[in-house]
Amino acid sequence: MAKTALGCEPVVGSLSSSKKREYRVTNRLQEGKRPLYAVVFNFIDSRYFNVFATVGGNRVTVYQCLEGGVIAVLQSYIDEDKEESFYTVSWACNIDRTPFVVAGGINGIIRIIDAGNEKIHRSFVGHGDSINEIRTQPLKPSLIVSASKDESVRLWNVHTGICILIFAGAGGHRNEVLSVDFHPSDMYRIASCGMDNTVKIWSMKEFWTYVEKSFTWTDLPSKFPTKYVQFPVFIAPVHSNYVDCNRWLGDFVLSKSVDNEIVLWEPKMKEQSPGEGSVDILQKYPVPECDIWFIKFSCDFHYHSIAIGNREGKIFVWELQSSPPVLIAKLSHSQSKSPIRQTAMSFDGSTILSCCEDGTIWRWDVIAASPS
Amino acid sequence: MCPGRPGSDLRPSTGSALLQPPAPAMASKAPSPSASASRLDAPVDPPALRPLETVPVVKDIANVIDAFKKQVAADRAIIIRKRIEENRRELAGVTDKIFNSSKQRNDHTNDNITSNGVDLLTKRQEDALGMQNGIDANNGDRDSDNYLEDAHASTAVLLGSSIPVKNAVRPIKLPEVKRLPPYTTWIFLDRNQRMTEDQSVVGRRRIYYDQNGGEALICSDSEEEAIEDEEEKREFLDSEDYILRMTIKELGLSDPVLESLANCLSRSPSEVKARYEVLIKEEKNVGGSKNGDNEETSQTMSSFLDKDLDAALDSFDNLFCRRCLVFDCRLHGCSQDLVLPVDKQPPWSHTNEEIAPCGPLCYRSALKLVKGATVSSPGSGDPEEKSNPSSNGSKSHVLTRKKSASSSDRTRLKQCQSESASSNAKNASESSDSETGPRQDASARVLSPRKTKSAGKGGLRKRNSKRVAERVLVCLRKRQKMMASDSDSIASGSLLSGDMKLRSKLQKENEDAASSSQKKIKSPVIRRPRRKDLTIEESHNLVQGEVPDAPSSEMTIDPPPTNNNDTSKKEEFVDENTCKQELSEDRSWKALEKGLYEKGLEIFGRNSCLIARNLLNGLKTCQEIFQYMNCSENKLICQGGDAANLGEGHPKFDSNGNMVHIEPRRRSRFLRRRGRVRRLKYTWKSAAYHSIRKRITERKDQPCRQYNPCNCQTACGKQCSCLLNGTCCEKYCGCPKSCKNRFRGCHCAKNQCRSRQCPCFAADRECDPDVCRNCWVSCGDGTLGVPSQRGDNYECRNMKLLLKQQQRVLLGKSDVSGWGAFLKNSVSKHEYLGEYTGELISHREADKRGKIYDRENSSFLFNLNDQFVLDAYRKGDKLKFANHSPDPNCYAKVIMVAGDHRVGIFAKERINAGEELFYDYRYEPDRAPAWARKPEAAGSKKEEGAPSSGRAKKLA
Repeated sequence: MAKTALGCEPVVGSLSSSKKREYRVTNRLQEGKRPLYAVVFNFIDSRYFNVFATVGGNRVTVYQCLEGGVIAVLQSYIDEDKEESFYTVSWACNIDRTPFVVAGGINGIIRIIDAGNEKIHRSFVGHGDSINEIRTQPLKPSLIVSASKDESVRLWNVHTGICILIFAGAGGHRNEVLSVDFHPSDMYRIASCGMDNTVKIWSMKEFWTYVEKSFTWTDLPSKFPTKYVQFPVFIAPVHSNYVDCNRWLGDFVLSKSVDNEIVLWEPKMKEQSPGEGSVDILQKYPVPECDIWFIKFSCDFHYHSIAIGNREGKIFVWELQSSPPVLIAKLSHSQSKSPIRQTAMSFDGSTILSCCEDGTIWRWDVIAASPS
Repeated sequence: MCPGRPGSDLRPSTGSALLQPPAPAMASKAPSPSASASRLDAPVDPPALRPLETVPVVKDIANVIDAFKKQVAADRAIIIRKRIEENRRELAGVTDKIFNSSKQRNDHTNDNITSNGVDLLTKRQEDALGMQNGIDANNGDRDSDNYLEDAHASTAVLLGSSIPVKNAVRPIKLPEVKRLPPYTTWIFLDRNQRMTEDQSVVGRRRIYYDQNGGEALICSDSEEEAIEDEEEKREFLDSEDYILRMTIKELGLSDPVLESLANCLSRSPSEVKARYEVLIKEEKNVGGSKNGDNEETSQTMSSFLDKDLDAALDSFDNLFCRRCLVFDCRLHGCSQDLVLPVDKQPPWSHTNEEIAPCGPLCYRSALKLVKGATVSSPGSGDPEEKSNPSSNGSKSHVLTRKKSASSSDRTRLKQCQSESASSNAKNASESSDSETGPRQDASARVLSPRKTKSAGKGGLRKRNSKRVAERVLVCLRKRQKMMASDSDSIASGSLLSGDMKLRSKLQKENEDAASSSQKKIKSPVIRRPRRKDLTIEESHNLVQGEVPDAPSSEMTIDPPPTNNNDTSKKEEFVDENTCKQELSEDRSWKALEKGLYEKGLEIFGRNSCLIARNLLNGLKTCQEIFQYMNCSENKLICQGGDAANLGEGHPKFDSNGNMVHIEPRRRSRFLRRRGRVRRLKYTWKSAAYHSIRKRITERKDQPCRQYNPCNCQTACGKQCSCLLNGTCCEKYCGCPKSCKNRFRGCHCAKNQCRSRQCPCFAADRECDPDVCRNCWVSCGDGTLGVPSQRGDNYECRNMKLLLKQQQRVLLGKSDVSGWGAFLKNSVSKHEYLGEYTGELISHREADKRGKIYDRENSSFLFNLNDQFVLDAYRKGDKLKFANHSPDPNCYAKVIMVAGDHRVGIFAKERINAGEELFYDYRYEPDRAPAWARKPEAAGSKKEEGAPSSGRAKKLA
């Protein structure tokens, strides 16, 4: 990336910990030998705010965080295909509000598991290669979006099993898509990023009728007129290497590459000419030893703080929306040495989970809330 | 990696900076968040006014600049904080909303659960909680066993608690689903597309992740290529302007200041200085500019009309593809070289007579009114004489036409009458007696073209016109009396309804016509109070000098009239006269309108109706165009001199009274050339064919050449780009059709375009209906009419790509590997199956992309010609999935279709329905991957996995 111009420098957070909150390990469990790639709390349904899911290998597991650092295993699912290696998991729910666990991985098949009935609900075949991330639309939790190695992002309706839109083509990603996220308030908007070093912002405004149609579709899902969205509304060259995680923060975007930092930036789009615009990099959250790809961060429900693990098993918790950014805590444990692929923050940020390359899950609980 | 902030690096120097003069001014602004906003508003004195006491030391300058930099950085931090705070507040509302909806979900689900009964996740949750609390853990288990299926029996397991743990949760199996063969999402293309610039991987940093090796590889050739520093002229940012201005304000304008500023902003001192001058100027203009802005906006409104045609057509020329006849052509791209053919098409002549006026402002209706007014001028209305006017009219008509009256003529006449009658009725809003009035007009009008035509014929001209004039005069005189009142009302009606411009024009014309035709029947009736601007005396005087038969000729020629300068000088004179009167109006013609008018002449000939409707709609009326046409015409004539020159280069009237305008020189040349081409026989020895044959023989060694139309304006010589490039000239070239380098197509008779006997086929070209003599296409189901057939009743078989007559291809899992293409219906040998489409990329680009494709061991590159490679990786069609086989059932062929190379896939043998399609990729032997090598060649050792220097590309 080009040198930042004078007067446009981002505010960089200082790595000296403020010790606003302190966390300690309250539980550690070994799920298996295979790496765990994803862990996620259920933010869709307030009953299950303490329920989380992990994926690793061909296994999807549903846990519950209980008082006193206790973790309860609620459900476990195993794909009969031993070759399957799940990379991502997300929570969704049906139109009748049945909780769904949605997982995808190397096989490129999206598994919709009906957790309320403990059985497979649907399997979405369509992606041409492995699936790197699945996210759920918080306002319409039967819509999910998936990012795949086949260079596309697809929008699905878990209720009717329809692939509504494919975000790929002439203006699409030129390499694997690693991460995707729904805008929290603008239902039309998603951001995706990947191995082509770009972050792309897409709008489905013009295609919204298809999204609505997907809810009432009664014919075979394969007969649905799936549409291609070929051109993003914005392409941001923020990074110069793989971009493996991006999230919306209001109208801003958080994204990270392999440069030991998370970047908060604002897309400044030109309404008249889609695809053009500029990026204003606002803040940077340094994360040392975070230079391998496929490390994803997570935020609490209200986006107050953000947690990310690194290559050496440490976790950095940043206060997200203060300027300059404040490092809330740096979590380390003598036995946690394996790369942390993803973290999960509970609803209020009091619990942080991390899932590691060596197949362990760590639970950290806040011990003393800061006086402020 | 974090870019250093200037402020933080230079912290020690801050103190000294604050001691400098700028400090107080800065300090007052520093803490306020509005500092940034007020930056530009801060008044700055021009440096010249400030006395320069001493030239500041470089170190001081640095300090000052640093201070301002710190200022900028502080402002920036404040802005960021503000924006993040704003965003936070907004986001808080959003998350609260989401939280509420998640709570609602909870409530509703509870309702559902009571009705549905089972939600296992909730149940497990409760179990776990119960277990942890140690209450009835076992009972709970038993209960669940009792009323649930076995599959649901497993319950939660607590980890990390003191309570002893059960074995494990029994996992639920997800039945296996077959995964698809891998593919990259691709977009269907029905025709090739040229790669857009931003899709290029050349010069980009590409990192390829090797799944097997588990490593990421940088695939760009070298680092310096990856990061090409673009020496673009960067715009000055507000912050830079601020530093620049403030520093110069403090320290004055001197070389060391400029230098250190330039250093700080990483620009050249001259750039900085120039920018400073701009800033000073801007500031001065701040006050005065506001008025200017308004003016500008009002100007932009009509900016389009202010352009001339070339400027207005600029975007059209850039965006419209003249080869594909579409805007925004993805194949040939925007901003192609504009190749305009030398051969011009003759102006469009319409077959059906469009004698009806094109609208209320048509020149025809206007002329009718002229006539009416003229006729009315005597003013001696005689309503009693109702002697059949129409028969009169036709009689006179017959007479003038030299006894060639036929019944068809008469019927036509009647039609005309009725037509004009209706239109007249429209125009003349209230004519009580609309029957007779128009009729007379019509007869007179129909008369004139006929007469004109006959008059146009050489020596008879004068006599004819005289005779006609007499006849008409007699008729008119008779009828004038009875018509007067009617036409008067018509005229007045139109005068009331018409707009001001039209009215004045009409009046003037009326005057002219009236005065010329009625010079001896001066009557006060004409002098209506409305016509005070032009007195009868004047107009009379104007005409006085004319030859006696002036009025009649004016009368007869009137309808499509004034343009028809039939060698009669008076008429010219009259025209000129009107022309002068219209001069002011001519000036009102904008450059764009004039340009459009010229184009209109080229396209439609001298048909003001069509020009008005199609090109100047909303800008000029038909009548205005008509007058403009006459004026410009007359100017030409006046320059040309006497009547002798008029014969040539003059609008001609065909028998229908429609005008056919052909520019004299152009026309004759065109005809000559055309005649010669027709006479040229197609011979195998002609130059064009020779080069083709040569190319065919060369093809084995080198790929075919990309065709680019040449812009030769004469027959192609040695400088012709096509000739130099080794391609034939095509129909898209600028050169005339007689060009020796043109491919002339075939003139095959029955069934021949399928063998090498057809020159097109032999040259690997598809036949082109525009070029080949007997190859034609029937369109649609025939409801739109069948094109006139050329040659035998036979349909060319060598146009399948052009017509997209392909077979249905299915995509499925291959029996060999990955995906495969299958045929839906059986086909016979040599049948065309479909086109292999893709992105057109350069060879360089293909090499870059190929590096990664080779690693993935799947390549969709296809060599097309010397310039382009087809890449079907992201864009293509199903045929890209056809696999390689050394013993294939299909073959690929590069074919020239209308100037473009395309890849067609053909059946090598009879293929049955449902068979998988294979063709030989024909990789260059030394570059082929192991799986594509011929069995005997496969043994030749070459370390696998290592990227070869050359890329594997399919060859036709």
